[in-house]
Amino acid sequence: MLSPDRLALPDYEYLAQRHVLTYMEDAVSQLLENREDITQYGIARFFTEYFNSVCQGTHILFREFSFIQATPHNRASFLRAFWRCFRTVGKNGDLLTMKEYHCLLQLLCPDFPLELTQKAARIVLMDDAMDCLMSFSDFLFAFQIQFYYSEFLESVAAIYQDLLTGKNPNTVIVPTSSSGQHRQRPALSETSALEGVEASLFYQCLENLCDRHKYSCPPPALVKEVLSNVQRLTFYGFLVALSKHHGINQALGALPDKGDLMHDPAMDEELERLVVRSRLHRTSQKHRSHQAVAFGFRRSDKVEALESLPSTSTQMPYLCRESRE
Amino acid sequence: MTPFVPPPGLSCGGSCHEDKARTPTMIPGKYRTNPGRITQSNFELRLSKDSSFHNRLLQHDIEKNYSSRQGDGRVISPSPRNKPSFVPSTTNMTDLCGLELKSGANSLSAFGDSSIQTPTKSRIRQGCHSAGPNVSGDHVYLGSSSMPAFPVLHRSNEEKILYSDRLTLERQKLTVCPVIDGEEHLRLLNFQHNFITRIQNISNLQNLIFLDLYDNQIEEISGLSTLRSLRVLLLGKNRIKKISNLDNLKSLDVLDLHGNQISKIENVSHLCDLRVLNLARNFLNDVDDLNGLSSLTELNLRHNQITSVRDVDNLPCLQRLFLSYNSISCFEDILCLADSTSLSDITLDGNPIAQESWYKHTILQHMMQLRQLDMKRITEEERRMASIVARKEEEKKRESHKQTLIKEKKRLTICNVARKWDMQQNRVAGGPSSSQDGKDSDVPSQDACQMNGSGTCVYPEETGSLDPVITTALQGLAVIENHLVEVDGDTLFLYGSGALESLDRNWSVQTAGLVTTVSFTFIEFDEIVQVLPKLKIKFPNSLHLKFKETNLVMLQQFNALAQLRRIDQLTIDPQGNPVVNFTLWKYYVLFRLSHFSMQKINGTEVTQNDMIMAERLFGILAHVASSELPQYRLLSLLGEVRKKQFRYLLEGKGKKSGGVSEEGNDSKRLCGENTNRATLNYTTRDFYTEKLEEIKEKKKFCKTYIQDLVKEAAEINMKNESLQKLWPQLFIELVRDAVVEIRNKNSYMKLCLQRITDTK
Repeated sequence: MLSPDRLALPDYEYLAQRHVLTYMEDAVSQLLENREDITQYGIARFFTEYFNSVCQGTHILFREFSFIQATPHNRASFLRAFWRCFRTVGKNGDLLTMKEYHCLLQLLCPDFPLELTQKAARIVLMDDAMDCLMSFSDFLFAFQIQFYYSEFLESVAAIYQDLLTGKNPNTVIVPTSSSGQHRQRPALSETSALEGVEASLFYQCLENLCDRHKYSCPPPALVKEVLSNVQRLTFYGFLVALSKHHGINQALGALPDKGDLMHDPAMDEELERLVVRSRLHRTSQKHRSHQAVAFGFRRSDKVEALESLPSTSTQMPYLCRESRE
Repeated sequence: MTPFVPPPGLSCGGSCHEDKARTPTMIPGKYRTNPGRITQSNFELRLSKDSSFHNRLLQHDIEKNYSSRQGDGRVISPSPRNKPSFVPSTTNMTDLCGLELKSGANSLSAFGDSSIQTPTKSRIRQGCHSAGPNVSGDHVYLGSSSMPAFPVLHRSNEEKILYSDRLTLERQKLTVCPVIDGEEHLRLLNFQHNFITRIQNISNLQNLIFLDLYDNQIEEISGLSTLRSLRVLLLGKNRIKKISNLDNLKSLDVLDLHGNQISKIENVSHLCDLRVLNLARNFLNDVDDLNGLSSLTELNLRHNQITSVRDVDNLPCLQRLFLSYNSISCFEDILCLADSTSLSDITLDGNPIAQESWYKHTILQHMMQLRQLDMKRITEEERRMASIVARKEEEKKRESHKQTLIKEKKRLTICNVARKWDMQQNRVAGGPSSSQDGKDSDVPSQDACQMNGSGTCVYPEETGSLDPVITTALQGLAVIENHLVEVDGDTLFLYGSGALESLDRNWSVQTAGLVTTVSFTFIEFDEIVQVLPKLKIKFPNSLHLKFKETNLVMLQQFNALAQLRRIDQLTIDPQGNPVVNFTLWKYYVLFRLSHFSMQKINGTEVTQNDMIMAERLFGILAHVASSELPQYRLLSLLGEVRKKQFRYLLEGKGKKSGGVSEEGNDSKRLCGENTNRATLNYTTRDFYTEKLEEIKEKKKFCKTYIQDLVKEAAEINMKNESLQKLWPQLFIELVRDAVVEIRNKNSYMKLCLQRITDTK
């Protein structure tokens, strides 16, 4: 935590930049929200749990969108949570529509905006084929780029537009633009008949952008790598390349490599257990419901197993009644 | 020839004699009107006193025997019994007059009508000598005098004296009317059974009262304009196409036009004294425009092609109306008959209408004044039966009418609800699309607010028209314009959001118990979510939920159904529920509602494999949700569900004591539900927006609070750091000062001593 550049900034700015303030604020507001429950089991305990879950990345589950997108860590955590929860959907081989993916996202974040999902889908699909089905991995990686770097991509889109129309975006940002760039202008308008913009010029602009961009952006070296492979490229071509670049995925660190995307042995194990349990549950429930119908009540006489949380079980009457059959 | 009995006012020979004879005719039952024999007085007598018998004859016997066609085809003609007497007579062509006379005599005797002084056959025969142009008699001479084309009729003086007021030229094979000279006093003229084509040469007979032109070939009514006293005009069995030229015949009493080719009743409105009008066997299609016939008591319209009768209620004296053998098929076409107060006798036999089962009682029901129908006297019993049948019919009609009305109303209501829904959908659809342009989460939430705002604008008016009357019967039906609630068998149908309020009603235990299926149509799912706790309480047996046009768009919306007691079947109509287009929706439902052990989804049986698949797809989600959430979050998520339920319970149940047990059930149910799934709950958009607002408020507060806190901490830290930095130097300085002070031992000792003494 005590990195040397912390001395370069005043404390407050440093905390803000590192999003520590965000979490502190959120912790307090969570505390306020669940005041009654939390006072029952201790404020210290609450803070411990809170910051633990922030570290584990589980703090974003079912939270509001404004919080989920507030920090890069939150975004990465959300991406990871999405992958973990719905990896099975991809494993099953189902191809889904953009709307259905959106629904899945909304299961984790009820107010997730459709716009973001649409943008992610646009990376995968052509503009006129937005209702097409996508594979889970295609969508996930496109979504990762779109979601994690959404502010960066917006700026990129603006730059791209400027380049397309022949305006040099750098002229606005860098007043002392070189004459060389001016010379390129006619060439640009000529080539705009071709598709996209010239990669090298595009990279210059992006490098410039990365330097001054306060939001997270992909490592410039990787962007250079993406752009160095081609002469010209379109905006969506760029996004597709970004989303498919495993280096960027690694740098982001939320998702495993594409090859390992369906691989999560721990969870698979857990799932097998769940399936077996649900099978038992169903048969037992069927059995019981046949009995219970006659009395009009269902499993009222069942002694429920206690929640296996030693520290809290006594203080939490709700959880005590719940079974873990 | 038929005798003519002059009215009292007429000064003619033997009038007193006939007067005397007339007295018996006062008895209606006995009297038979025979046109040939009618005197003015008994004519009047008949019409005023009236014998229904006579009329029956008129329309019945006469017409029936039309085919046999002797003189009885006429309106006022002898009964068929006279016929035999005619038949032989006709054979004797030379004795036409005599035959006629004989027939007249016979008929009279047959009817026992003594009023008519039968002139002796011989006399008449003598008197009537002349009829045909070729015929020349002793007393009557027909010769062509002034006008070469027309025969001239002369009678002997003797004849003239004896039968001064009547002249019969029957069956004389006349083709034209003869010129009748010196007979201005004639009151009765008979041209029956000739071949006359045109009415001529009688304009001088201004005293004529009775003119019989039955069975001729007349094509047009003409030459009558001077006969102002004419009271009986018989033109039956001719070729008349049009009623015309009757303008001056204001005293006309009887007009017989049967057996002609008339297709329209016209030019009769001035005949205010007309009592009998016979238009049988013509070409009439409609009866209309009968104004002015204020004395008409009898109207014969048998054997036409009449389909509808109107205006009959404008005939104040009409008593007998004969409509047999026409084309009337519908009671509505003769509805005006019911409005006539004077009608007492009607015939409608031989019409299509008479074949109907409802014919008799409908007629009787509508015409209370009727005494005879189709020649049969109407008994009290019949009338009673008719009224009973009619009442039943009426009730049945009303019932079916009511049914159709209800159906129609239902249909309209559903259409109305659908239209409203569509409008609302368009508006709502506009909302999110605009919110998608928003860059941060605030914008959608604001938009959602607006949406809700506009939504609530619509609802008040709907609730305003809520029908307070609740039918709790099994077939209970409450139709309101903007929503519809219907219980049909075991299904409760709810159309339109207003219908959800019906769940607040006090449904009878029986009805509520019977309902196992609840169908929602044209209702926003979010609104349904809010009444689900009520539904659970009011209809505890509802096992099957149907959703159509409910705007189910997200998988998470199914979470809301988990709070119900039990669902066996779920039917989500693809119409208006986009969620059904998703590949995963069924599995999600099975996963989320696995504690219900559902039997069917959209009519398809749920298999064990489906359940396992559902678990495979979403099991991890549940696992992550339950095991990886920090405890305080788990608690708050579960708590929300519970809190919400409590709130609904309070709203729905009020202070009822039952609330406690319900609550108990709730907690039990919650236990039954797979714990790891309980965290997956659905907050309706409204609530969620509310919550987001709340969170925003809190965040704002927390932000300032943390800001202050951090700033304070940073300041303290800074001071501390400065102190740390300053401290070593400070210490050194202190030490140095001390060292400097004690460097000179003696002086320091002195100083110390001095201090001690000073303190002492």
